[in-house]
Amino acid sequence: MIADESRGAGAPADGGRSPAPLLRTEKLTVRFGGLTALSDVTVSLPRGEIRAIIGPNGAGKSTLFNCVTGVLRPTSGRILLAGEEITGLPPHRTSKKGIARSYQITNILPGATVLENVRIAAQSRHHSWSLLRHHRAYTDVIDRARDALGAVGLLEHENELAANLSHGAQRNLEIGIALATEPRLLCLDEPTAGMSIAETHQTVDLIRRISANLTILIVEHDMEVVMGLAQRITVLHYGEVLAEGTPAEIQANARVQEVYLKT
Amino acid sequence: MSGSRNLTFWTGFAVVVAALAVAPPLLPPFWERFVTEILIWGLLAMSSDILIGYTGMVSFGHSAFLGLGMYGTAAALLLLPPNLWLAMSFGLVGAAAVAIFVAYFATRLRDIYFAITTLVFSQIFYVIIFTWTEVTGGENGLTFRQPPLSIPFLFETRFSRETLHWFVLAVVVLSYLVLRRVTQSPFGKVLQAIRENEPRTRAIGYHVERYKMVAVMLSGLFAGLAGSLYAIQNKFVAPDFVFFLISGEVVIFNVMGGMGTLVGPVAGAAFFWLMREAFSRFLTEYYLIPVGLIFTAMVIFLPQGLLGFLRRRLNE
Repeated sequence: MIADESRGAGAPADGGRSPAPLLRTEKLTVRFGGLTALSDVTVSLPRGEIRAIIGPNGAGKSTLFNCVTGVLRPTSGRILLAGEEITGLPPHRTSKKGIARSYQITNILPGATVLENVRIAAQSRHHSWSLLRHHRAYTDVIDRARDALGAVGLLEHENELAANLSHGAQRNLEIGIALATEPRLLCLDEPTAGMSIAETHQTVDLIRRISANLTILIVEHDMEVVMGLAQRITVLHYGEVLAEGTPAEIQANARVQEVYLKT
Repeated sequence: MSGSRNLTFWTGFAVVVAALAVAPPLLPPFWERFVTEILIWGLLAMSSDILIGYTGMVSFGHSAFLGLGMYGTAAALLLLPPNLWLAMSFGLVGAAAVAIFVAYFATRLRDIYFAITTLVFSQIFYVIIFTWTEVTGGENGLTFRQPPLSIPFLFETRFSRETLHWFVLAVVVLSYLVLRRVTQSPFGKVLQAIRENEPRTRAIGYHVERYKMVAVMLSGLFAGLAGSLYAIQNKFVAPDFVFFLISGEVVIFNVMGGMGTLVGPVAGAAFFWLMREAFSRFLTEYYLIPVGLIFTAMVIFLPQGLLGFLRRRLNE
């Protein structure tokens, strides 16, 4: 399905119109009462890119994620996925459209096994309304689930209870759950939060590995992770886009230095 | 590995069903009736486990489903030729009608709001049934004749105590097998994901409300089946069965027996009824004092319920 998508879009002909970006927000604005969390944020994410969103606490990064995944309805502005408007769709619909996310605070099914966590995610695309056959009879779903577990390196833990995994492994299970829904766009909210340096390196490698046929939007505070992964960076500050560019450009930007990168 | 586990399960299943089939004719009539009745209350408790134990929605309105199953069956037996299957289908239709209604409103609400809404709905039905005397017999309820046990075009015979017991046992066992399979199905696994983490289940692409609606309807249907069996057993229905006290007892059966096991609530119903029987012999209407104390002790020292320790095996 993912392959079809990219084939369908095709490579832009020289000088021709480039295909619609996978994700585009247009003048996205979110107000909570008197507080403006996002103000006219326009971001465009080409297919296959890894984009980092950085900014100080309260800059609106999580609000942006919540809008894209449908948890929040923007006050104004539009969100387009591959040219199709998805503004205001609820989370289960944005998921079906191909947007998956991992959470800043680990958000898994603690009482289920590791395999069940990803299996239920894979199942949301296949056979989810079957009532009278055993779920294990649907081996296609289990195969997809195992693929996702393999991608995040948790295959040998598949029978453990998710609650018993180490913090780092739970963080990677988060990504596995997201992958199992066969997304086009993967939104990672601080995937390395709370991880040791060794675990962080592993997760960075993992994200790089899975990025081959995915578009990734990543919010991260760890500058090493951001600089190592992102092709482009968008800097948010008080809900507005302060700067956008390659990691080198962002590091050299005086305004960004002033509000964020110094300390 | 799962093969041997399966074998253990089916062996245990066969032993329990055989014991329940053989025991009653050996018991005195009072206790035979008692076992039959416990199976019916067990089915009611089992149906609510789909919501409480598997989906994580506490329903305080199961008396409404039970009651509509009862009154549906009563209507068929009073107005139509006495046919067992017709009477039971009427019960199921009655319960399903309420279930659709409750599901639509109640699944828009979560946690305590859902519990309260189910409670309110069941009390509305109670008041309607209690006051609409011309149709429902009001406070006095309705009495009617028991339909004969029949298999269409094959045979027809009057229920004896034994055949009634076996018939109820067959319906309850079959319901258990169907409900168990549902909890193991992809759909059932979605319900359990909702119980574990509702927002996450939504985020991976499930329209949670729809799954909850179907869960409420399924649960209501089997509760209605219990009501229908009760009406056929007792040839009598009364508004008391629609009162919220019954719904509360159903929740207690679940907690005592072990939520999320389907058979736990049946054991809970049996345990509760045995205690009531034992204590009310000495204490008459004060039997609830020791029952309440035991219940409190169980919640503290046995929070998983009587059969909670078997949860993983029973659900494999």
